[in-house]
Amino acid sequence: MVLTPDFDTKPVISFQHVHKTYPTGTEALRDINLEVPMGDFLFLVGPSGAGKSTLVRLLIREEKPTKGKIFVDGVELGRMKRRKLPQYRRKIGLVFQDFKLLPNLTVYENVAFAMRVLGEPDHKIKARVADALDTVSLSGKEQTYPANLSGGEQQRVAIARALVHAPRFIIADEPTGNLDPATAWEIMQLFLRINARGATVVMATHNREIVDLLRRRVVAIDAGQIARDDRSGRYHDDLAQSQVRA
Amino acid sequence: MILRNLKFALNSAWQSFWRNLAVSLAAVLSITLILILAGVNLLVGHAFSQVLDGFRAKVSEISINVSDDTPLQTVYDFKDQLAADPRIVSVRFVTKEEALVQFRSDPQNAILSRQIDGNPLDAKLDVQVKNLGDVAAVDEMARHWPGVDPTDPTNYQGDFINRMLQLSDWLTLAGAGLLIVLLIVSVVIVMNTIRTAVYHRRKEIEVMKLVGATEWFVRGPFVIEGIMTGLIAASIALALLAVAYEPAVMRFKSDVGFIPLSYDPNFVSSLARDLLLAGALLGALGSYIGVRRYVRI
Repeated sequence: MVLTPDFDTKPVISFQHVHKTYPTGTEALRDINLEVPMGDFLFLVGPSGAGKSTLVRLLIREEKPTKGKIFVDGVELGRMKRRKLPQYRRKIGLVFQDFKLLPNLTVYENVAFAMRVLGEPDHKIKARVADALDTVSLSGKEQTYPANLSGGEQQRVAIARALVHAPRFIIADEPTGNLDPATAWEIMQLFLRINARGATVVMATHNREIVDLLRRRVVAIDAGQIARDDRSGRYHDDLAQSQVRA
Repeated sequence: MILRNLKFALNSAWQSFWRNLAVSLAAVLSITLILILAGVNLLVGHAFSQVLDGFRAKVSEISINVSDDTPLQTVYDFKDQLAADPRIVSVRFVTKEEALVQFRSDPQNAILSRQIDGNPLDAKLDVQVKNLGDVAAVDEMARHWPGVDPTDPTNYQGDFINRMLQLSDWLTLAGAGLLIVLLIVSVVIVMNTIRTAVYHRRKEIEVMKLVGATEWFVRGPFVIEGIMTGLIAASIALALLAVAYEPAVMRFKSDVGFIPLSYDPNFVSSLARDLLLAGALLGALGSYIGVRRYVRI
């Protein structure tokens, strides 16, 4: 099942003339305008250093914009008080290229971690972790430590952790960057399933094959600006491709 | 939810203490050494205050010599006046005869007392003053009393008392200064040790923050670990000090006999309270500061 985002309703994520310049003077993003409706599946593509990761960091409020406004679920992130930040982050499921698993915790403990910080009771944690591990096909590996898992399995644990608290948004930064093509494809299937359940997915990626195959929304960033925003796009601009071929 | 979070923090602190045993032991060792120094400081301070208390009791007693021709009623009136003074603890009238008996009973006066003909000693009023600082005023009052022996009014030794008071003030100040220095040094040490522990766990903290942990959820286990570390260190320091206290006092007494030091077993319990409290506070404060940089969301 593919969830069709409704582009006519009010967006759940909205970038309005967003600029980001780092204290070193590096201008990472320039005048970004982007609207993401509920249930969208959006690929952020572009060369390294284009500004994709900065955009992700702004979205999870690790950074604040230098200029402009970012709204998520009607809340302006730049004006959000620090004490409100944990509540905001609980609405998001985060997946990273380097998995960010805790090596001294088991698979179960790693996934349960996202629920522990919410102060949820043990019986609820147990049920939800079992559910999440089942979704990522890791049932039976609960007591295994991350070091004893393959890269794909580790990323699946990270995805289970990202979705265990049923977040409204999944933000992924190069989630298949460290994986072989077959495993990357398996991981993408998981993201599609999560999206189909209703979560909005924003994914920064370099994986051309996957982007081209899925034909989802593609926002291409180049030199800190949005170069292209296609509702059913490819990794490279079709026009540019045909020009190259010609 | 608070209980669940507390349980999680206690569990994490306990696990982290054992998982990072080398760093934990380094922290325990540092705090133990600091607390031993602080404990020695407190013990020395206590010993000196015991000695000073002894001196104070002696010098806060003043004898007012009564002239031979003073009528007894005048002496009693003055005695009552003194006894009513709030600065004075007690007044005792010693007759000439009693003064002679006292003089003769002191073995140091044995030769002198054999040479004495009659009773050259004055009757006196032995006055116990509450505060050492008020002895001078009482002495001044006595000197203005008409019944006092004008040739030798009192046995007040102002200079000695002033020096004693100065010494006491300096010792208190030096002790407090040393304690403050030790406290600052220990907070810095604990802070850096905990910061090392935190640095090892920065990935864990990063993940905690990314999944929506509050600052206190992240900080809690570290602060509890700091308290645990401080309490363990305080217990070790206390055990060592308690074992060494009595032999050290005895050794000091035999080496420097003229300073009347004594072993005070009651002080060990107050030392225990101080050290455990200091250990827990140092651990908590060091962790709180040490973890701050990494915890800020």
